[in-house]
Amino acid sequence: MHPSLRCCSARVHTPLIKFLGKRSYPSTPDAPHPHPAAPAELKQRFSEFLAKMNASSSSESAAKASSGPAVYSEFWEAPPKFWNYKTRHIEEAEIEAIMTGGASSY
Amino acid sequence: MLHLRRVAQKNLTRASKSKIALRGLATAANEPYDVVIIGGGPGGYVAAIKAAQLGLRTACVEKRGSLGGTCLNVGCIPSKAMLNNSHLYHQSQHDFARRGIDATVSLNLPKMLEAKDNAVLGLTKGVEHLFRQNKVDYIKGAASFVSPNRLSISPIADAPEGTPTEVEAKNIIIATGSEVAPFPGGAITIDEKQIVSSTGALELQEVPQKLVVIGGGVIGLELGSVWSRLGAEVTVVEFLGAIGGAGIDEEIAKQFQRTLQKQGLKFKLNTKVLSAEKKDGKVYLEAEPAKGGNSETIEADVVLVAVGRRPYTEGLNIEAAGVELDNKGRVVIDDQFTTSQKHIKCIGDVTFGPMLAHKAEEEGIAAAEFIKSGHGHVNYGAIPSVVYTHPEVAWVGQTEQDLKAAGVKYSIGKFSFTANSRAKTNMETEGFVKILTEKETDRIVGAHIIGPNAGEMIAEGVLALEYGASAEDIARTCHAHPTLSEAFKEAAMAAYSKPIHM
Repeated sequence: MHPSLRCCSARVHTPLIKFLGKRSYPSTPDAPHPHPAAPAELKQRFSEFLAKMNASSSSESAAKASSGPAVYSEFWEAPPKFWNYKTRHIEEAEIEAIMTGGASSY
Repeated sequence: MLHLRRVAQKNLTRASKSKIALRGLATAANEPYDVVIIGGGPGGYVAAIKAAQLGLRTACVEKRGSLGGTCLNVGCIPSKAMLNNSHLYHQSQHDFARRGIDATVSLNLPKMLEAKDNAVLGLTKGVEHLFRQNKVDYIKGAASFVSPNRLSISPIADAPEGTPTEVEAKNIIIATGSEVAPFPGGAITIDEKQIVSSTGALELQEVPQKLVVIGGGVIGLELGSVWSRLGAEVTVVEFLGAIGGAGIDEEIAKQFQRTLQKQGLKFKLNTKVLSAEKKDGKVYLEAEPAKGGNSETIEADVVLVAVGRRPYTEGLNIEAAGVELDNKGRVVIDDQFTTSQKHIKCIGDVTFGPMLAHKAEEEGIAAAEFIKSGHGHVNYGAIPSVVYTHPEVAWVGQTEQDLKAAGVKYSIGKFSFTANSRAKTNMETEGFVKILTEKETDRIVGAHIIGPNAGEMIAEGVLALEYGASAEDIARTCHAHPTLSEAFKEAAMAAYSKPIHM
């Protein structure tokens, strides 16, 4: 009897589920937080845990942070060119230097 | 001299183009792995495959002799094989006639156990195949920390020749899982013959006349169901006042108990087991009311101790890694699964959260992704639980009790399988779907199902929770007819409006 009124009163459902597009991640890693299932006591002292974790990380970041010559406690922390055979190429000049006991360098 | 020098130089030039020039430098064989995973269970093997797929050089160390961990070898998989086949046997005995099928069927238990073993073997070998396909190095041995980056490997009996005795890794994932928790106080010793854990309960060579299950959680109810269907008289003794374990909705738990009672299982709730004595081929349990009172003796042929599981770190020498444990023996981690050592992560049963294979799998994928890119995702609010009895029980999200405790105003939508056409045709109408929504927003906050195929159907609830769906979203989504899943849709309709078929 009143079609327009019925139309106006009809609610249009807007789904809560929405397509957000392809997932993308920020370029920086996520910051650590307490594990959601961790006991409350451990959540409270998370900063202490974090400090311990960061102290463990060590040599790699220490080497990166220092301005002087890098010191590595593990060989793989050094750039791969020093230990990865796939990227290790000996130049002719280096071979010559080896063969001449270094004399070719002068 | 000059000639010699030229020859030597030529040789060196040739050598420099080959790997001979690398003498003294690291080679692929002794380079550290990008990731080494300790433990080849659902968490560990999934993490290994994912890490390899992400381009990381990966190894997985497993000491059991077969991959798959507790789940594939002595847990989820063998128990599901026994649950499925014992259900078929039980149906043939008690259900076929009313469906118009007359048959004489007898139990061949050795064959049923063999079928279970074949399922296990097929799946564990399947994981080995996946490792080969994804170029994951499978190291058969027991790993133990020598230092935070180095693991010593004790080869196991069937380890192939050339198994490394030590491996070095830039990142390590601890995924050593859990083990059966002993009876509290040590009053009962498991012998895996008469007093068994879940492992022994899957290997019983004959159907016990009387089986007593200590613990009315998921494991106890599933294995109790298996032996009850095969003819055992089963009594479940539970310390708490309800069955089903942690996280089950109270209304579902009550219906669940009624259903199992109809199937012949007996329950002694609020009852504390004190001790067990083996005598004349029987086991006599001493039990008393949980709140104290007169004790009673319960006789059994076999006792199943199913009082839970505990984290497993034995033999890891975790102190050498400097990894922190909590007072329950769990490895302490942050939300990126990182332990107190930045390059060591930990996933699955051995750390926080529910001890579920699918939770460990999610964590395995996320841990590998965190190592590779610094991002990963596990939603602990949307991890489903399933009890594979008949009917199945499944749930995800919050219970009514959780919502009441949190002071959340909620709506309930329920739909019974008696009004579902497919359940009717299948003659399996026991149970219902219960959907809980936040009153103000209609957002689904919990889904609870007891009924046929609940374990499969709960995936719809998990998806709804993960996407933040409203009950109306589900209700306005077309579900095929006739299917059991229509009960889920109708429960959603009931939550925000009214169901059609009830």
